[in-house]
Amino acid sequence: MEVSADISLRQADAGERERARARLYVLCQVVGWGAWMALETSGSIVFPDPETKRTLAETISIVVVIVGSGLLLTHFIRPLLTRWRWKQLSWRALLPRLVATSFATSALWSLFTIGWVHGVLNSPWPHKYSPLLLAFFDICYGCIIFFGWLCLYFLYHTFDRLNRSEIERFQLMTSVKEAELRALKSQVNPHFIFNSLNSLRALIDENPERARQSVTQLANLLRYSLQSGQLETVPFEDELGVVNDYLALEQVRHEERLRLRLDVAPDALHLPIPPMLLQTLVENAVKYGITPRPEGGEIAIVARNEGGGLRIRVSNPGQIDGGSGSPSTGVGLHNAAERLRLIFGERATLRLRSEAPSVVVAEAVIPLPLHP
Amino acid sequence: MKALLIDDERLARNELRRLLASFPEIRVAGEAQNARQAREQLSALKPDLLFLDVQMPGESGIDFLESLEPPVPHVIFTTAYDEFAVKAFELNALDYLLKPVDPARLAAAVERLPGQRAAPEPGPLRPGLLEAADKVFVREGEKCWFVEVGQIRLLESEGNYTRVHFGDAQPQLFRSLNAMEERLDPKFFFRANRRQIINIAWIAGIEPWFSSGLLVQLKGGAKVELSRRQAQEFRERMSL
Repeated sequence: MEVSADISLRQADAGERERARARLYVLCQVVGWGAWMALETSGSIVFPDPETKRTLAETISIVVVIVGSGLLLTHFIRPLLTRWRWKQLSWRALLPRLVATSFATSALWSLFTIGWVHGVLNSPWPHKYSPLLLAFFDICYGCIIFFGWLCLYFLYHTFDRLNRSEIERFQLMTSVKEAELRALKSQVNPHFIFNSLNSLRALIDENPERARQSVTQLANLLRYSLQSGQLETVPFEDELGVVNDYLALEQVRHEERLRLRLDVAPDALHLPIPPMLLQTLVENAVKYGITPRPEGGEIAIVARNEGGGLRIRVSNPGQIDGGSGSPSTGVGLHNAAERLRLIFGERATLRLRSEAPSVVVAEAVIPLPLHP
Repeated sequence: MKALLIDDERLARNELRRLLASFPEIRVAGEAQNARQAREQLSALKPDLLFLDVQMPGESGIDFLESLEPPVPHVIFTTAYDEFAVKAFELNALDYLLKPVDPARLAAAVERLPGQRAAPEPGPLRPGLLEAADKVFVREGEKCWFVEVGQIRLLESEGNYTRVHFGDAQPQLFRSLNAMEERLDPKFFFRANRRQIINIAWIAGIEPWFSSGLLVQLKGGAKVELSRRQAQEFRERMSL
């Protein structure tokens, strides 16, 4: 439900970022190499080589081939950098690799451009330098160009990574804050409080003893829900006590419409549980299993010590898709699951499933803390 | 005034009954704990006033009202918390009480109720006709209205629905125009054409129109065309 929507949203986001990066890469390549091409061309025009006496067309064609081959070379280097996982390397490990790569690329490039200019285009060798010296100059020149290109490439990625980890940390912080806030909000259901107070008013005349009891139960529940934000876990026994108070109050309201079955293993009572977790499951069960049904139904709580932790099951009549008339938003359970994940990571689970016929079961497995 | 209490909680009904004991003008005639029971009680007891819980298992109080054949009795809503659900009614001078109910607030709500309605005039033309002071419940989206039949200027057919014009609003009613026509008093309401029924009391002006038809202008601006045949009938009715 909400969780999967969230994930697909993140994926759409990542796709958008990937496309933006591809656009940026194309732009940088075109602008960078284009600028260099303009520089080379204008240089050849302003300071023409007196020996070769090339025409403008010749000059341009040579520059285009040199620049174009450079662009293509870097374009084919890029996927290799990803495949070799160089983006994960530190600068110290990266630098020698970059020097070697720029040298190798430059050698390849010089070989090609010299071959093209003097072999294919039959441009005469300049008399000043020997071919070997010329090749050496070309390779040095290429080295600087490719090294510069690689440095820029990795600088961008370093900054991008820094930026992204900053954003991720920020997102994590806000999601934690939100979860805390939602957890706080879910602790007091105002509807329940005011309905209980209303029943209490009637009970004062009808059954003063039960009314006094209900006041205590409501006070217990409110105190517990207000204080529970301060503790990570409480003994299951404490939580169960408050849930019993809550259910007693709901029974005052719903009377025979709310039937209860409690099956708790004694050795499960001391196990730790995040406060308000069972309460959330039971509140959900009443909200979707009892309130919308004129005939009411049974809520069963089963708790077992499974060695590695606590397994609790809360079942109520109804269907998961809200066939009972009250559409489920899943917010309560979603929050509970998030709280579990924040405390225990992936070791805790919370699942909601249908159990034939028309019974919904919420099952939570709460592991023992790693460092008791 | 006969009242019917509708709430799914027995204690809530008891509490309200106890509170109402200090209002001699209101007699609690019965109780219902869901919409189905309420409908039965309604036809058996013919109450003048409903205390209606908004949140009920199965059908909500609003759903229940919408299902009622007009006229609807006076309604005072009761709700535990979300005023939101009843805020929609505020403009319509309809009252709601927050639970637990404050006795002073209840007194004010009872005070605001229109006085006990006079016994119906003997012999309307047909039984089951709505009178001008009778109320119809209309809901559209989040908004709801209790409309006095006399305030309705125009009813327009839209397939199985009828668009009802009154005040500044023109919501849809989940009833066909033909079904509405059967309930409307022909003394006030006139079938102008296949699609429209007008309230004669809201006519602002009449002009001759093409081929011996009439163009009727209603207060509030709407214009309605009458065909020759309808115009003929209209002239006969008005000259009586």
